[in-house]
Amino acid sequence: MSIFDLMRAEYILIYAETIRRKSELVLMILYPYLFTGFVLLLGYSAGSLEVFKSRIGVNPAIFMATASFTVMSLMIGVDDVLWRPLWDMWIGTLPYLIASPVDKFKLFTIMPLPRATLIVLLGFTSLLPLYILQYGLSGVILVLLVTILIVIGVFTMIPLGVLLAGLIHSIGESWRILSVVRPIIMVLLGAYYPRFYMPLVAKLLSYTIPPSHIVESVQRVLVGLVDQWLLVLIAASIFLTALYTPPSRASLKFWEKRKVSEGVKIS
Amino acid sequence: MSKAIEAKGLVKRYQTKKRYGFFKSKVEVVEALRGVSFTVNYGEIVGLLGPNGAGKTTTIKILSTLLLPDEGEAYVAGYNVVKEPSEVRKHIGLMLTVERGFYGKLTGRENLEYFAALYGLEREYVKKRIDYLIKLLELDKLGGDYKLFEEFSLGMRARLSLARALLSNAPVLLLDEPTLGLDPPSARRIRELVKNLAHEEKKAVLYTTHNMFEAEIVCDKILLINKGVIVASGTPGELKAKLPKLKVLILSLHGQSVENLQRTLSDLGLKHEISSELNIHTVRIHVQRPEDIFNDLVKKLVSSGFELLSARIEEPTLEDVFIYFSEGYL
Repeated sequence: MSIFDLMRAEYILIYAETIRRKSELVLMILYPYLFTGFVLLLGYSAGSLEVFKSRIGVNPAIFMATASFTVMSLMIGVDDVLWRPLWDMWIGTLPYLIASPVDKFKLFTIMPLPRATLIVLLGFTSLLPLYILQYGLSGVILVLLVTILIVIGVFTMIPLGVLLAGLIHSIGESWRILSVVRPIIMVLLGAYYPRFYMPLVAKLLSYTIPPSHIVESVQRVLVGLVDQWLLVLIAASIFLTALYTPPSRASLKFWEKRKVSEGVKIS
Repeated sequence: MSKAIEAKGLVKRYQTKKRYGFFKSKVEVVEALRGVSFTVNYGEIVGLLGPNGAGKTTTIKILSTLLLPDEGEAYVAGYNVVKEPSEVRKHIGLMLTVERGFYGKLTGRENLEYFAALYGLEREYVKKRIDYLIKLLELDKLGGDYKLFEEFSLGMRARLSLARALLSNAPVLLLDEPTLGLDPPSARRIRELVKNLAHEEKKAVLYTTHNMFEAEIVCDKILLINKGVIVASGTPGELKAKLPKLKVLILSLHGQSVENLQRTLSDLGLKHEISSELNIHTVRIHVQRPEDIFNDLVKKLVSSGFELLSARIEEPTLEDVFIYFSEGYL
């Protein structure tokens, strides 16, 4: 089986769902701006621009826009994998996915890629003018570097997403658990609230999330700390991803087994 | 002929909760299948017939690897459904509910391309196969190439669903109520195709339905299933021959109440079914030799105040067979 055919099929499915569903397309384009605007508004009304700059070391507009882009892109790695079995169950395609000979791990790993590609491209084009305004022409290189890091981050998020999907969907009422797990991951990534300000327990939990190291590396790039520590963070992220891959495959198998033992709903 | 499907003593139990108020519940075990055994050969359409909740869908789910049996064994194309599910999946074409099961924002063709990718089929083959299936099922005439699935009528959905089952050209087809809710022309088209697939292309077809008429005209062999047990099996002719009373005397009457008619027939000791519409009663009486009782019966009915509108003798239908085997009477 060609993995490219499977990827092509997933890309067509997700792009058809996005482009042919106008509300989703509009929301997808507007969401990062709305989110950044909301966070900035909240920040300006509750705090001070100078305090933010002195504590974080970056212009809050740049920081928040980058954080929104980062979170949106990385969360695709979890969202698309976590919600997809529920969506397929609701529309009745799940029995056909399970009863097909496709390697489920391969399929789930591919699932987030189409939307992630779209978000990364959208994010890149929306960040570019902002970075050029702030940093001049070197902003182009900076935004490219940030985008590359985020692409790596998306890939490192997928095994964790698959691991959680397998475990969560093996339990009943999984969508309720998802609405709790998702925001926790979002906070622990440290994109809006950098890791070094987190309490110890949260910090330790954050270290276990592979793309959180990528988030830290993006923040280091923003404050101009481009050194070998960046490579260490990327390596840590990739190492964790490799560590999560076997259990995520096992968790998906466990989910499939569980589904089949209780019977896949077909109506 | 070799066996395409072999089920040996399949048992499936479900746990259901009976609720009493908000906090109390009691777990009950329901046996959906109680030792189901049968075989389906290549080139044969076997109908699994039964009322709702008889165990038809449970059987299809087990054979399509969507459900594990509690006891017993099943083989599809020679592969064990529990131990070798991946192999089984490569050898089956599956058609479950017809109205759902596709992506709404994809066209018919795009949906088929998506599912073909799950089967790992070569791109060139897929293109040719989809062209062929769209033409075969006349989806091209209905706009299946460019219409989104969410805009499909039920008939188009059923055709697309059958097209998906045929995508990989699997030797075994598991079709769960494929004509449910379809208009007569669409249902007829599907039935013709299924017959063709089995008899021309030598595919093994397991066809579930609760439509007796359909089963009679489509299936080579019928398995009557009720409450998780196969109560009878054979060709439609063989099943009818198993009935102890071979003819059905059908009378149309009017002039008196149903209760009166009921009483008169019971007095004569005849097992019967009555349906009434606009004060006209249709009575179906199962007897060995209708001519022996006809004259006396009519005399008795006329003397009870009924007027005989028509009378005819028919061969028993599959429905009669089913009622006999599932409920033990006619």
